[in-house]
Amino acid sequence: MFVGLLLSRYLNMSVEGQEAVTTVTPGQYILIEGNDDEYPFVAKLLKFFGDESHKQKKALVQWFLRLSEVPQNKKLLLGRSPHPQEIFYYLGRACDNEINAESILGTVDVRQDNSPDTLYVKLSWDTKAFNVLDPVLMQDTPASTPPKPALPLFPPCASPTATPVSRGPVRRALPTPDPTVMRRAGSVSDTRATMSAGKRSTLEISANDLLLCLSQGWATLMGVGATKKSELIMMDCSCLFPVGSRSYFIYLDVIFVVLLTCVPVLRLHVSSVPESLPCREQEFQDIYNFVESKVMDGTGGCMYISGVPGTGKTATIHEVIRCLQHASDMDEIPTFRFIEINGMKMTDPHQAYVQILQKLTDQKVTADHAAALLEKRFSNPAPKKETTVLLVDELDLLWTRKQNVMYNLFDWPTRRHARLVVLTIANTMDLPERIMINRVASRLGLTRMSFQPYSFKQLQQIITSRLNKVKAFEEDALQLVSRKVAALSGDARRCLDICRRATEICEHSTSHPSSAGLVRMNHVMEALDEMFSSSYITAIRCASLQEQLFLRAVIAEFRRLGLEEATFQQVFVQHRALSRVEGLQPISVSEGLAVCQRLGACRLLLLEASRLDMLQRVRLNVSQDDVLYALKAVRD
Amino acid sequence: MSKRKVKETHMPVGECISQYGYIFQVQMILRERFCHQRLPEKPVGMESQHKHLLELLRRTAVHGESNSVLIVGPRGSGKTMLLNCVLRELLEVKDVNKNVLPVHLNGLLQTDDRIALKEITRQLNLENVVGDKVFGSFAENLAFLLEALKKGDRSSSRPVLFILDEFDLFAHHKNQTLLYNLLDVSQSAQAPVAVIGLTCRLDVLELLEKRVKSRFSHRQIHLLSSLSFIQYLDNVRSQLSLPQDFPDTNFYDEWNDGIKTLCEDQSVVDVLQRHYNSSKDFRSLHLLLMLALSRVSASKPAIKPTDLLEASRVCMVDSKANILHGLSILELCLIIAMKHLNDIYEGEPFNFQMVHNEFKKFLQRKSHSIHNFDKPVVIKAFEHLQQLELIKSMDSSTAKIQKEYQLMKLLLDHSQIMEALQKYPQCPTDVKQWAMSAFG
Repeated sequence: MFVGLLLSRYLNMSVEGQEAVTTVTPGQYILIEGNDDEYPFVAKLLKFFGDESHKQKKALVQWFLRLSEVPQNKKLLLGRSPHPQEIFYYLGRACDNEINAESILGTVDVRQDNSPDTLYVKLSWDTKAFNVLDPVLMQDTPASTPPKPALPLFPPCASPTATPVSRGPVRRALPTPDPTVMRRAGSVSDTRATMSAGKRSTLEISANDLLLCLSQGWATLMGVGATKKSELIMMDCSCLFPVGSRSYFIYLDVIFVVLLTCVPVLRLHVSSVPESLPCREQEFQDIYNFVESKVMDGTGGCMYISGVPGTGKTATIHEVIRCLQHASDMDEIPTFRFIEINGMKMTDPHQAYVQILQKLTDQKVTADHAAALLEKRFSNPAPKKETTVLLVDELDLLWTRKQNVMYNLFDWPTRRHARLVVLTIANTMDLPERIMINRVASRLGLTRMSFQPYSFKQLQQIITSRLNKVKAFEEDALQLVSRKVAALSGDARRCLDICRRATEICEHSTSHPSSAGLVRMNHVMEALDEMFSSSYITAIRCASLQEQLFLRAVIAEFRRLGLEEATFQQVFVQHRALSRVEGLQPISVSEGLAVCQRLGACRLLLLEASRLDMLQRVRLNVSQDDVLYALKAVRD
Repeated sequence: MSKRKVKETHMPVGECISQYGYIFQVQMILRERFCHQRLPEKPVGMESQHKHLLELLRRTAVHGESNSVLIVGPRGSGKTMLLNCVLRELLEVKDVNKNVLPVHLNGLLQTDDRIALKEITRQLNLENVVGDKVFGSFAENLAFLLEALKKGDRSSSRPVLFILDEFDLFAHHKNQTLLYNLLDVSQSAQAPVAVIGLTCRLDVLELLEKRVKSRFSHRQIHLLSSLSFIQYLDNVRSQLSLPQDFPDTNFYDEWNDGIKTLCEDQSVVDVLQRHYNSSKDFRSLHLLLMLALSRVSASKPAIKPTDLLEASRVCMVDSKANILHGLSILELCLIIAMKHLNDIYEGEPFNFQMVHNEFKKFLQRKSHSIHNFDKPVVIKAFEHLQQLELIKSMDSSTAKIQKEYQLMKLLLDHSQIMEALQKYPQCPTDVKQWAMSAFG
């Protein structure tokens, strides 16, 4: 065997199978050890070579994919159900095409025609689409130049694991938005500006602009939330377009009415995805650089992101991933997989394993088994591996007593072959120090980022950018909202909710929806009142006479005792005295208890369990001053 | 009213039968009203809230805009009634009717997220879809449902209205997973949903975890009735009046006139004023009117002021004083002994031995009519009082201490005891005097 190997001078190599010794020669199709014992990887051997130290035998291969290896979301591109024996010629470049010679399991027969028992190839897969395979590629040309058309990302003879791989051609400074998108956004906002100026006469808009508005603007606007009615109008409009200008203008008028009324509300909904995320440029850039460098290097890493709710953490990461996906579609960076899990959307921390595995390989297994499979996947070297970017939202809920879920999540990226980037999100800045034991916190590393609550200026900018130059708010009104929210929490969601409500109030304040003007100060004030004002005082004012009397009795008893707590029995004595003073018929104990329970149900009072009957202790849930203020206003 | 009485006595037989039929109908109509089986035509005194909620749900149902809202108001203030009225109105719209899927959950029934999820699946008729898949765990079920909700987008999927009754109880579920997920769907561009919470707690937002709170839109509709007594009276009249479409106009006029005079009667106004002072909500009012209505029969086809007075008396009666009427003399004596102990020791707890001593003192000094009872008999009486929860044991660990020495507290007010003694049938005078004397 060794003689044979020497003689062949890397042209042949023998593989020790389980039963017999098989010899493989370049040009043959081989099976290579992978994650799945049942379905090993398939490749065509191109040539053998030794690494620098001549200790390890390496092989250059051309990969073939089974459908199960195609990313989940791309499987549909095939458009038919695949044959179990079908494999695809791999044209991508993200995979390392060198393997250790030891991982070869044996040879296999691959044909180009449809045969039931052997593997066959008909299509090629270039990470984006299935194409009909060029038969030239399948010619038996052993040790020829690799048939990869793209730029050689990995120099053929450098082992990718030993030396850091050369980065992509040029690192881009900032992902610039697609120029077509930019143009579209510009044109739409232009037309919108004209509309909001109240000039709904169509005369100013040339036919070209109109076309632009219809074909592109609608897409953006209605992408945000199409109503069936407006879609209908749009269709009508495009049908009528060539017929005559008169009817066309009438329809246009209708469109503008629809636009004017529905756009601000829809754009202000938290769910509408903005074109860009203002005020988070720095954070965006940092995360982008981090993930991009890891994807390019094919290494792994962890990042911890903290910030109070509603500061755009998840949105920023999604934006980063979107930009990176775009970049990888443009072949600027290698392809990668993005997986998202959320601690709140699981019932048990161990479900994390199941969900990750399911999203990676579409397997459904138990938590323990999933953990084992993932462990194997991330610790063993495997060819054709692309980087996985894992987003763990609401990290604090993955806490377990032994913290093994967190430990594993942060340990995998440190493995040599894992190529896993873990981005974690939680609300508190000091979560690693507070709840994680040392070995977990240490693996998480020190790549931290904290999202500050938005300042009022930023909130203002967010709303303005969301409205996209539609002038729907008075300047002062906008400032009031953003200042109010910034002072309370800096939560962008809250800010958008208030604005949305204010727009609704504004809409309802006028009789005809199209005549609604700008959202003014008073509308915003009303919305703020609705959302922020405490209802306790109104509740006390609207309470029945006996309930109010009982609250007064509670305060009187507190004053007498000098404590903030009294039993019902004590309060009831006061209540009876007070009702005598007021000239009311005193109520029975049962009734008094009912009154007390009603106040307790609204949480104006805090009560002990009602089985204690007369001995239950009563406390106020509102400050005494508030009660007195509310009651005084009633009596005046 | 007296006029009608006269008429009644001279009523021929045939008319009597039809009279019976009408009374039956009246009772049907009014009972449906009072037992909340039929929604009112229009919710009273909450027009602005009605408009707000209708508009909000219409946005979800028609435009596919997700929303979340809380309806907050004290018990019996008409939260569910308002919501049902809005839903009824919403479902009358043609497109909406086939499109909207309401899901009703109640915090008292769905006590944890697993049950809630099962119920959601059932109400969304997804059981068949789920059926052939066996969910290993709650987590998978949740994931499936979220996936089902996520798949749709605004224009294509059917809007789902999640109605969470007793919303505050859902906040006690572990991690508030259900609320987080529902509100998260309502805040993201997935299938259009509206999450409507009904609660009587004013501080409900403080129960929500910060992440959940941030996802809630903070829209609250408060139902706090600021009904004046005049409006309350009007409402009583309209509640008791017959609808326009009553078959017999004669009877209709007669009945409604009777109700009008009833509501002007001073004693009735006093009774209603008392109820109004105690509570403004309609549920307790309905209870009162229901009692009055049940006294109406073919031979007495109208509600009289006395009916209402009697009903009010039944409603207002003190339940514990009622229990005292059913006690034996011995038990009553023990209660009086406890009352004296309370006076002496200023509400400190007592045990059986102390009560027994007090009772024996009474027997020796003052009693003429009551025999001496054996101790076991007295203990039995004491235990009976405990079972009636007129006295309550103070220490939690009852096992260690002998029955005679367990510390007890009396769950009765002095006024209740005195009131009961006044009405107790054939109460011996010496017992009465003992009760009224200052100390033992």
